[in-house]
Amino acid sequence: MSAIASSGMTRSIRKNQGIIVVLVLLAVLLVFGAFVSERFRTANNLLNILEQSTGLALVSLGQTLTILTGGIDLSVGSMISLLSTLTSGMINGDGSMVAPVVVGVLALGLVFGLINGILIIWLKVHPLIVTLGTGAVMQGLVLLYSLGPAGKVPKGFTYLAYGKLLGIPVGAIFVVVVFALVGWFLTYFRLGRYIYAVGDDDTGARLMGLPRAKVLLTVYAFSGFCCAMTAIYLVARFGVGQPYTGLNYTLASITPVVVGGTLLTGGKGGVLGTLLGVYLISLLNNVLNFMDVSTHYQLIAQGLIVIAAVSIYVEKRKRV
Amino acid sequence: MLKLTGISKGFTGVQALSGINFDVRAGEIHALLGENGAGKSTTIKIIAGAYQPDSGEIEFDGKVVRWARPADAKAAGIHVIYQEFVLFPHLTVAENIFLGYERRGALGLIDHKKTRKDAAALLAKLGVDIDPDKLVSELTVADQQMVEICKALVHDVKLLILDEPTAVISGREAELLFARLAALKAEGVAIVYVSHRLEEIFRIADRVTVFKDGQHVVTTEIGNVNRDKLIAYMVGRDLKDIFPPKRQLDGSAKVVLKAENITVEGRVKNAGIEIRAGEITALAGMVGAGRTELAMGIFGGLPITSGKIWIDGEQVDGMTPAKAISKGIGFVTEDRKGQGLAMQLDVAANITAANLSAVTKTGLIDRRLENEIAREEIANYRIACRGPGTNVATMSGGNQQKVIVARWARTSRKVLILDEPTRGVDVGAKTEIYRIMRNLADQGIGILMISSELPEVVGMADRVVVMREGVVSGQLVGDAITEEAIMSLATQHPTEAAAA
Amino acid sequence: MADLSQAKGMELTGPGPSLASRLGPYALPIFLVLMIVVAGIISPAFLSSNNISNMLLQVAPLGIVVIGQAFVIILRGLDLSVSSVMATAAVIATSFSGQNADVLPILAVAVGMGAATGLVNGLLVTKRSVSPFLATLATMIVLQGFRFAYTQGAPSGNVPPLFRALGSASWNGIPYNLMLLAVLAAVFWVLLSRSRFGREVYITGGNPTTARLLGINADRVTIIGYIISGGLAAVAGLVLSGYVGIVDNWVGRGFELDSIVAAVMGGISLAGGRGGIIGGLFGAAVLIVVFNAVLLFGLPVQFQIIIKGIVIVAAAAFYVRRTN
Repeated sequence: MSAIASSGMTRSIRKNQGIIVVLVLLAVLLVFGAFVSERFRTANNLLNILEQSTGLALVSLGQTLTILTGGIDLSVGSMISLLSTLTSGMINGDGSMVAPVVVGVLALGLVFGLINGILIIWLKVHPLIVTLGTGAVMQGLVLLYSLGPAGKVPKGFTYLAYGKLLGIPVGAIFVVVVFALVGWFLTYFRLGRYIYAVGDDDTGARLMGLPRAKVLLTVYAFSGFCCAMTAIYLVARFGVGQPYTGLNYTLASITPVVVGGTLLTGGKGGVLGTLLGVYLISLLNNVLNFMDVSTHYQLIAQGLIVIAAVSIYVEKRKRV
Repeated sequence: MLKLTGISKGFTGVQALSGINFDVRAGEIHALLGENGAGKSTTIKIIAGAYQPDSGEIEFDGKVVRWARPADAKAAGIHVIYQEFVLFPHLTVAENIFLGYERRGALGLIDHKKTRKDAAALLAKLGVDIDPDKLVSELTVADQQMVEICKALVHDVKLLILDEPTAVISGREAELLFARLAALKAEGVAIVYVSHRLEEIFRIADRVTVFKDGQHVVTTEIGNVNRDKLIAYMVGRDLKDIFPPKRQLDGSAKVVLKAENITVEGRVKNAGIEIRAGEITALAGMVGAGRTELAMGIFGGLPITSGKIWIDGEQVDGMTPAKAISKGIGFVTEDRKGQGLAMQLDVAANITAANLSAVTKTGLIDRRLENEIAREEIANYRIACRGPGTNVATMSGGNQQKVIVARWARTSRKVLILDEPTRGVDVGAKTEIYRIMRNLADQGIGILMISSELPEVVGMADRVVVMREGVVSGQLVGDAITEEAIMSLATQHPTEAAAA
Repeated sequence: MADLSQAKGMELTGPGPSLASRLGPYALPIFLVLMIVVAGIISPAFLSSNNISNMLLQVAPLGIVVIGQAFVIILRGLDLSVSSVMATAAVIATSFSGQNADVLPILAVAVGMGAATGLVNGLLVTKRSVSPFLATLATMIVLQGFRFAYTQGAPSGNVPPLFRALGSASWNGIPYNLMLLAVLAAVFWVLLSRSRFGREVYITGGNPTTARLLGINADRVTIIGYIISGGLAAVAGLVLSGYVGIVDNWVGRGFELDSIVAAVMGGISLAGGRGGIIGGLFGAAVLIVVFNAVLLFGLPVQFQIIIKGIVIVAAAAFYVRRTN
């Protein structure tokens, strides 16, 4: 088992040199942070970072798959807003509602994602436009449901966000497990390999008779599912969901994917890179906080990181 | 094994196939010949299930069949190796070979180790040394071809179709391919082999079929025909009528472009060429020999890492397309739609595209002048279209090509480079394009024609420069220009050629 | 014939049996008129002079951005940074003394900022091969950061009266900003559809490789396209600041997506090389009418967003059928 696992890792790295870049950057940041402030070095702080990165990690996971197929999901922000508002709104403090609502919301995420996928396949319109449209529709829908925070959740619910298992935040463990599962799926399942193929050469995939429709439906449905997970997590974190919860997550979910070495055109990259990308960004924000850099400059830094990352990953441009 | 009866297929404006018959027996290698546009690739696509015939019947392995999509044909045991490979650059060789048919382990999960091992075994069987873990994007074109062929070996293939397989491989690799095909033949596989290389056909084929203009011309045992007969079947007319008379070389023509020691990274090494005014110089060789790259390097479309270029005796450094155009050089590219035409614009816009200055007054485009120019060229080249405002996407390949030639002829008063000028052009338009080329040469322009069609090279060229694997392997002039001589230079190992 | 097809983005010579494709070039204006008529029937208030002048005032800022976005999309790109440029321009407008004397300096600084942003976008896309989506996204974020840092989250100051007049006043019922839009549209229409540069834009957008082999400096053309977009976005930001009056850090929010939607609806294909300014402006008009109608029908603002989403997807699907 360990032999297979390790060869899987080396293969991931071979296929995506971006991982090395991100690892290096992570190391640099860690060292830098240690210099900046001693509070940085505490286990508490590092665990905090892990905990805070859960939401971003979950949504970026789904986004990784959609980008791998050469598409994108711009509806994630609105979906998170919609699903989180529904979650807290429907539970509304009633402990017995928690389980059914959570299951329902997860299912709803799948359904919304499926709708995205169906529209993309059926209308033959670029995923960018389709998800832009569905995202707008969903944003409108959530505002119809509630113009502000809706409902509330019972005390125990926040365990999902703040609970600890053996001293490590529950969310962080969950993230690692889910990422590992998806990574495993991508490597060892045919559908997983087909995701790469479709992203690499869509026309070729068609010619080879690969089940393109299945691939697209799967990735967009899964992206919706990830949004649902993120939504539930955010409700646990803030105690309530509201119509703009997911506002920044759309664009924020793309950054770790791209920084982690996944090509926006698809076909190359993977979840390991995304996870490292998520840690990198969370770490960056943390370090900047310690440096008392205002959030405004943090934004600038994020933008610059994206530019730097994609500039490095430029594939040798063929001239003519 | 396979029998096509009365198959017809038309697309808007073009009847690709009219009532053709074609059959292939198990355990035979059946060659399919024909010029571009004769209907070979349409037939292949129909057999493979990518197209549906308008009428006619397909019988495979004793049953009448009707494929709805390629997957069905594949499942039945038909495998096609297209000229443009279907390979995924970011996946490994092993993964590409087994895509869709991955080797699975105990729990139904993909067993990568086994995939790698089996891929290595297949590659070894084919006699090539390729690392199954390498990404396809890291391979040379020839190696990619080998991987593509490997894919066919994965299944129980009953009918194998190869479309111009030796376009990108040669010599040793081609020999391996032939050996493998012979082995498959012995196992009872039916093989359809499409190629322009007549020597190969005589080597490995059992029967040969010729298509012309979408119709079946003849099917016969290979022993019943010879080269000339085949060419006559394919072309259907006396070769002399197609090609305009050549120029009598008297050595007085001046060198209008000279290139020396040109190196284009990975493709061309220290190649040199001279183009003389008024002459048609052909650049021949197998696909992948580096001809287009050499020409592009001279034109400035590809970066060169070494070499010097002189135009009319004056050395030019840092060549770019803009510079080349200003110096009177033009380039009719190989890929009309992908590199040559502005597909969304009309005839007039395409004709003036290389020299917008000529129709620009105070920054604005003078449409009236542009249309006038277009009308002039439409008449000049007999371009079939509704007028200067016709969108080029709606025109036939031959007429599109004429638009491009018209464009470059206007600005290239010194050198005109044409890369595969008659590819995908019907026979009638071909003749016209040859006439146009000779005309331009007679006006004093130096023509460089890159071509893979040997009859075309022999018929048109005053001089031939042959390339092989990135270097110039030899030159031929006048009567020395024969298909055998060209092929020999194109396939000989460079050091052998030097020693000879 | 060629210019009309460029303006509406469709081949008039292509085969097209379906009603959709035959209507093609005229679909949008017809749809617009139809919508106005229907809206007027459902709610007479829609056609009141008050409402019409309201709509006319809203068209200009979006329209100006769409002109710039048209250049970028035809060049196979996208400009997501326009909203950030608009907001930054608005902040610049309030950062001076608030007197008319400052109009010229404001103009210079704002347009300069917009052009500089466009330059950065263009360089990223051409020299570093960054995808336009990411490049303009990144500059949008970076600019936002600078803007927040500068204003410390709370912009203050006044917009000079001249801008206020430009942004919200009219002459004989015709808003000044609409006149500005008309002038800019005319100028840039000539640039795109009639000039040599415009021809180079279409060739480059259709296929950059082809353009290069024709001796066209594809990189330079692309960079200029982004600069135009950035500069015009800045102008739109100034106009919008005049309309809104008070400035916050989010002036122009949503304009980046709205301008792309308007362009796509106007027949400008995301694949590049097709479409024109006139189409884009019709798209902007349709969008404004739709939003306005939704509000006027007493439908909550949420429906605006929902309808926007449906319209985007439907329009794109419509055009997919045409060009395939």
